[in-house]
Amino acid sequence: MTQTPIRLTVNGRIHEVAAERQTPLLYVLRNDLALNGPKYGCGLGECGTCTVLIDDAAARSCVIPLGGCAGRDIVTLEGLGTRDKPDVVQQAFIDEQAAQCGYCLNGMIMTTKALLAQNPSPTEQEALAALRYNLCRCGTHVEILRAVMRASGQLTEAAD
Amino acid sequence: MDSPVSNGAGRQTGSLVVARSVDEVTSETFIRITADGSVTAYNGHVDLGTGIRTALGQIVAEELDVSFARVVVVLGDTAVVPNQGATIASETIQITAVPLRKAAAQARHFLIARAAERLELPAADLKIEDGLVRGHNRSVSYGELIAGEEIRLELEDDVAVKSVGDYAIVGHSVPRVDVPAKATGELTFVHDIRVPGMLHGRVVRPPYAGVDAGPFVGTSLLAVDESSVRDIPGVVAVVHIGDFVGVVAEREENAIRAAEQLKLSWKPTPSLTDLADVETALRANPSTPRTLIDKGEVDKAIAGAARPMQRTYVWPYQMHASIGPSCAVADFQDGNIRVWSGTQNPHVLRSDLALLIERPESEIEVVRLEAAGCYGRNCADDVTADALLLSRAVGRPVRVQLTREQEHAWEPKGTAQLIDVNGGLDADGGIAAYDLATRYPSNAAPTLALLLTGRISPDPAVLQMGDRTAIPPYDYDHMRVVAHDMAPIVRASWFRGVSALPNTFAHESYIDEAATEAGVDPIAYRLRYLKDPRAVDLVNAVAERAGWTPRPVREDKDGEVVHGRGFAYALYVHSKFPGYGAAWSAWVTDVAVNKTTGDVSVTRVVAGQDSGLMINPDGVRHQIHGNVIQSTSRALMEEVSFERGAVAAREWGAYPIIPFPDVPKIDVLMLPRPDQPPLGVGESASVPSAAAIANAIFDATGVRFREPPFTPERILKGLHGEASPVPQALPAPPASRTSRIWESPFAKRAGIFATIAAVCTAAIGLGAALLPGRAIAPIARPDASVYSAATIARGQELAALGNCAECHTSLSGASSAGGRALETPFGTIYSTNITPDVETGIGAWSYPAFERAMRDGLHRDGRQLYPAFPYTHFARTSDADLQALYAYLMAQPAVRATAPANTLAFPFNLRPLLAGWNALFHQTQEFKPDPAKSEQWNRGAYLVESLGHCSGCHSPRNALGAEQRKAYLAGGFAEGWEAPPLTSLSHAPIPWNEDELYAYLRTGHSRYHGVAAGPMAPIVRDLKALPDRDIRAMAVYLNSFNDTATEMPDALAARLESATQVTVASSTGARLYQGACAVCHEVGGLPLFGSRPSLALNSNLHGATSDNLVQVILHGITEPVSSDLGYMPAFRNSMSDAQLKELVTFLRRQFAPDKPAWTGVRETIARVRSSTH
Repeated sequence: MTQTPIRLTVNGRIHEVAAERQTPLLYVLRNDLALNGPKYGCGLGECGTCTVLIDDAAARSCVIPLGGCAGRDIVTLEGLGTRDKPDVVQQAFIDEQAAQCGYCLNGMIMTTKALLAQNPSPTEQEALAALRYNLCRCGTHVEILRAVMRASGQLTEAAD
Repeated sequence: MDSPVSNGAGRQTGSLVVARSVDEVTSETFIRITADGSVTAYNGHVDLGTGIRTALGQIVAEELDVSFARVVVVLGDTAVVPNQGATIASETIQITAVPLRKAAAQARHFLIARAAERLELPAADLKIEDGLVRGHNRSVSYGELIAGEEIRLELEDDVAVKSVGDYAIVGHSVPRVDVPAKATGELTFVHDIRVPGMLHGRVVRPPYAGVDAGPFVGTSLLAVDESSVRDIPGVVAVVHIGDFVGVVAEREENAIRAAEQLKLSWKPTPSLTDLADVETALRANPSTPRTLIDKGEVDKAIAGAARPMQRTYVWPYQMHASIGPSCAVADFQDGNIRVWSGTQNPHVLRSDLALLIERPESEIEVVRLEAAGCYGRNCADDVTADALLLSRAVGRPVRVQLTREQEHAWEPKGTAQLIDVNGGLDADGGIAAYDLATRYPSNAAPTLALLLTGRISPDPAVLQMGDRTAIPPYDYDHMRVVAHDMAPIVRASWFRGVSALPNTFAHESYIDEAATEAGVDPIAYRLRYLKDPRAVDLVNAVAERAGWTPRPVREDKDGEVVHGRGFAYALYVHSKFPGYGAAWSAWVTDVAVNKTTGDVSVTRVVAGQDSGLMINPDGVRHQIHGNVIQSTSRALMEEVSFERGAVAAREWGAYPIIPFPDVPKIDVLMLPRPDQPPLGVGESASVPSAAAIANAIFDATGVRFREPPFTPERILKGLHGEASPVPQALPAPPASRTSRIWESPFAKRAGIFATIAAVCTAAIGLGAALLPGRAIAPIARPDASVYSAATIARGQELAALGNCAECHTSLSGASSAGGRALETPFGTIYSTNITPDVETGIGAWSYPAFERAMRDGLHRDGRQLYPAFPYTHFARTSDADLQALYAYLMAQPAVRATAPANTLAFPFNLRPLLAGWNALFHQTQEFKPDPAKSEQWNRGAYLVESLGHCSGCHSPRNALGAEQRKAYLAGGFAEGWEAPPLTSLSHAPIPWNEDELYAYLRTGHSRYHGVAAGPMAPIVRDLKALPDRDIRAMAVYLNSFNDTATEMPDALAARLESATQVTVASSTGARLYQGACAVCHEVGGLPLFGSRPSLALNSNLHGATSDNLVQVILHGITEPVSSDLGYMPAFRNSMSDAQLKELVTFLRRQFAPDKPAWTGVRETIARVRSSTH
């Protein structure tokens, strides 16, 4: 089957991907672009581990076909920052040690990014509601919530 | 300290290793220091996300007197680390770290002795700072002391280690080494391994989901139809051995497709144990009693008890529920076999793999990488074996990713458990006796591929695992504890807290019940029997921290929401009986119980722990947080559902875990015990959870719950008995409005004379069996260049309006080449080829032939066409438009394709009868504008009624398949979808208006009605070809059949949405909604890419039948009108019919509370599941 390559911008770089239009974006990011941030968790958009930003909105890349991403601007965890130069949200998660196994972390950080873009100073209740559909099994919720508040500049005291 | 890059071997000329000889040829290295001063530590355990990599680094840095940053910890790679067994039972710090610590200390002793020699100073005068030995202004580094030498020290057992008072690194919080890489996507999880030449594999599991014992295991596969995946590009292999089935493809999405599409035949699974009633199933499961303790005179004491108290506690099946389904990569090369795995037990896995492929262990290397947290045995080993089988089959590296559904269904479950306690109170209110029997049907869950391929027998092993913490921590005079060892019923293995968590649920519930009976404060009552001084200290400290008020008598609480407080304590005793203790733990928890909804909130937990020396206090705190949250989730909401004995929960709606808003406030109290040996902290804080919560619920409600999870249904049943009211959303206010039935302004009246004429015509037609029309002579294919570009462009718009290509294109065929199957009540009709191919299409059709087909429903050769082809509408098209359409069709590329023959039942297969049908129902007149109406209305009417043929689907049809004139646009059925009424008969809670009709037809989305899906999506997509003014005209026309709303839509929408918000997980259906649907549909959530259709307003929820809702849930929305609207996943492979029925029924009741419940939902699901739409 021949495919017309689909052009999309990922982390500021333009890519032409030759894959079937129905291929979920997640597999293209991981397998074609070697981006490991977004993770496969459920394939149904339920758990949030695959979250990326598409045109600044949080998006569950496991349920969005490549064809729907043509011409769009996509940002993954790698597009925020690096270990040497982390983004403010990544830094807040590092400061709060907001990971155990870390598999859900991509989704937590990317969802926080989308939340803060929309609401730079969320209350704790708003942060909890925004993360309501991002699942964490290790029970890192306490540290993650602190990281969100820290990233929004609302947490100044040290971790207790 | 860095994450490991390689094993660090062989980089420098010299090194110092501390190793232990296993036999004459093998030895295991614990510490390696190289001449450049770098330190590598090797441990056989792995980091399951708990942070032991960091803690082990601290221990080594401390004993070796080097900076923490200098130490690299290598975990779990079988080629280089010692075999220290599986990473289980919170043993890493307590047990596995011991030789590592000694090895580091031994190395330090050696190096300092050598430095003393080199510097010619007494060892006592030397100090070490980060591997630099100093004394009297002289110094020498570890690296210099090693230089080019190969030094090997045999690990000694009797090594002096540092005293706690000298600790500078251990006992202080250190940030975890893995978090920065995890937060930036730089850490390589096992899921992220890519090997050159790697292929992608998927497995297909047998139908006996989650069951791993019985003669049918490994013997049920009858046939594999490899041709069923032949159309998928890049499929390299289909592999099957026994019941093991896998596919391998070049690209992952094609492996996924192949696994879904592969046709397999399985033997019917024999009936499995019914697990609807876990207690009965466990009682019936054969077992062997094993007495763990029998002290005093238990039977006599029970017989003499003043107040006998016999209780049964039941624990449900639960899942480890790793967030990432297991994944592995294998590379099978002759004599050099490598797997990359997220396993908990690399060495055990290696021997399983050797057994599986019949190769010596020495040829196999298991490289362990981080994976999603597992909390016990998940599918990490299974998938590694799967990958190895597939790699062996194709001779290339293969990565296998299990699906969410497979991980849910097949992970070894945390087993259900049944605990009976017999005993009672003596005359003084003390515990007269305690006689506990526990049943725990679990084993080590053999690696699945061994069973599926038949390498090992599917007879289940009986292991002795139910005894963890089975003996209560209380010093009862007369006590007997018996473990009834039994085989698993479904696949089960250890899960955080193993059998200790359920056993403690029984101990701590029972003593709470006894305290209530005795009228004594529950903590004071426990302290009567608690002799362990560290336990007593912890209990007192936690009670004080929580501000515990002694409560000898429970106080009744008033109000809808009642509050309560509960206590529980445990010393987690694990490993082979009698085992040993990990950290001590105690909880005080506060709950709020809503007596109307049954909802339990755990609002606060004070969690106290005595962990001995804490290597990394922050790490301990995080483990306590994690345990508290996960075990609260288990107590409140977690229970595996089964259907006919197989696991039914295959996604997060069917097996919910705690979401952020439900997480309690946690206050952690860590007792400082730096002088005591470090204890495992990975599980302890989970153990008191369920009992503390049950005790708090009792305090709040006065009702004792002995079977988690404490779901709203269970609570309501406990509070109100079997006849408890089903919690429901408040009924939404009905939208007040009138509705009426409209007559078609255009359809033909079929009077009595017309009917007689029609019957005569039909009779003549049948009698003569002749073609009712004459053939129109074929022509040479017209030259499209005679038509102007403007005419062709206009024709293109009209073809789009008529949606011609949709019906005239088969699912995988060329555009307009026909062959699409159209299911009708009379049989299947295949659409024809309308490309200008001379032989198989309409290339030989003159314009008069085309026009006659469009207006009279006759083929060029004179045959009657079936009215599935909507000529009854097309007849109204103007001449000019028909000519433009003809021009456009003739200008398209010719495709040679013959449609399959129709399969219609008698008498519908007799085309001449259609003459009669036409006489009854068809009029061939062009559209006549209504002078009483506006020009815009008439334009809309023309578009809708002619090529648009909206009423073809949106009007009901009579028994002969003709549109019912008297129920114009009153709703119909097409292609397995309900085409809703477009008039004031609409079921939508908010009436349509011109603007919403326009928005919907223009964009495929109306805020007040939802998105276009199913057959409507391609129609709206086609309408993009039409100018805005035409869409507006259609909206004006259609709106004329609707009444003007009395309430502003936004106010009504807000009212409906707020009345139907889902706040309580009150039923299976509600939980499925919350887990699967709410992320995109619950009002007020974080905006996600795409639209966010509100279910309270969605037409499909309010429709007459459940078909459309079932369609979108099963098949998703993969081709929306525009990608801006977003996509919906298909749930057909993730939910069972029974679950779908629960979900659909809940959605209807919740979001359309003023509408009657749908009937026949189960049948609809079965029908839609088997349909292709």
